[in-house]
Amino acid sequence: MPAGRYKSRSMRRVYTKLPGSRVVIHYKKRKPSKAECAVCGDALKGVPRERPYKMQTMAKTKKRPSRPYGGFLCSKCMRAKLKEKNV
Amino acid sequence: MFEIGRLCLKIAGRDAGLKCIVVNTVDNNYVLIDGQTRRRKCNVKHLEPLDKVLKIKKGLSHEDVVKELKKENIEVEVKVKRNKRGPRTEEKSAVKETVKKQEAPKPKTEEKPAAKPKEVKKPEAEPKKTVVKKAPVKKAVKEKVSKVKAKAKTSKK
Repeated sequence: MPAGRYKSRSMRRVYTKLPGSRVVIHYKKRKPSKAECAVCGDALKGVPRERPYKMQTMAKTKKRPSRPYGGFLCSKCMRAKLKEKNV
Repeated sequence: MFEIGRLCLKIAGRDAGLKCIVVNTVDNNYVLIDGQTRRRKCNVKHLEPLDKVLKIKKGLSHEDVVKELKKENIEVEVKVKRNKRGPRTEEKSAVKETVKKQEAPKPKTEEKPAAKPKEVKKPEAEPKKTVVKKAPVKKAVKEKVSKVKAKAKTSKK
């Protein structure tokens, strides 16, 4: 039986095989949900799915695409928005 | 659609949202653009044509493109090539120079007549003294050392 604090599924279970062929469960924190486009709701590409402490150590250029609305709109919605603005 | 002189909006990549002119055509899919964007080859799919076509020569230089865009009230930021240390050192050096200029000339003009002759006299006097002092000390030390050595030899014998 797992320890009481691990009985709920708030922690992720990772099965790891030890050198002695014994399988052990490691409990890890779950990752946050995927970043979504603010208009269409699609998952954004190029935005990593990591816990805040890891996002903090990352470079800014690794956290979102380097274009206008990068990390907020998907590329299709960004194009549509730019066309609305300028055409 | 993407003839030479066509005003376009770039809608992909880091230059997205910037306006540019088609300067030259490369092939069916690619054109050379310049303006607010970098001067570069660009896929036609990454461009949105606007309603204006400027009358320009084929392969216009960047400076002339900037002039043409100014007529259309599209201003292009002047890109300054900057080394990571370049502009800082220039600023610092400029500051240093100004500081030097402020500090240096004042004492020269004020103290020149008074200070110069004094400075000239001192160095003449000092080295002679030092030379005179140093030489006898060394000799004395050598003599002492030689005496000590001699004593040691005699004691050993």
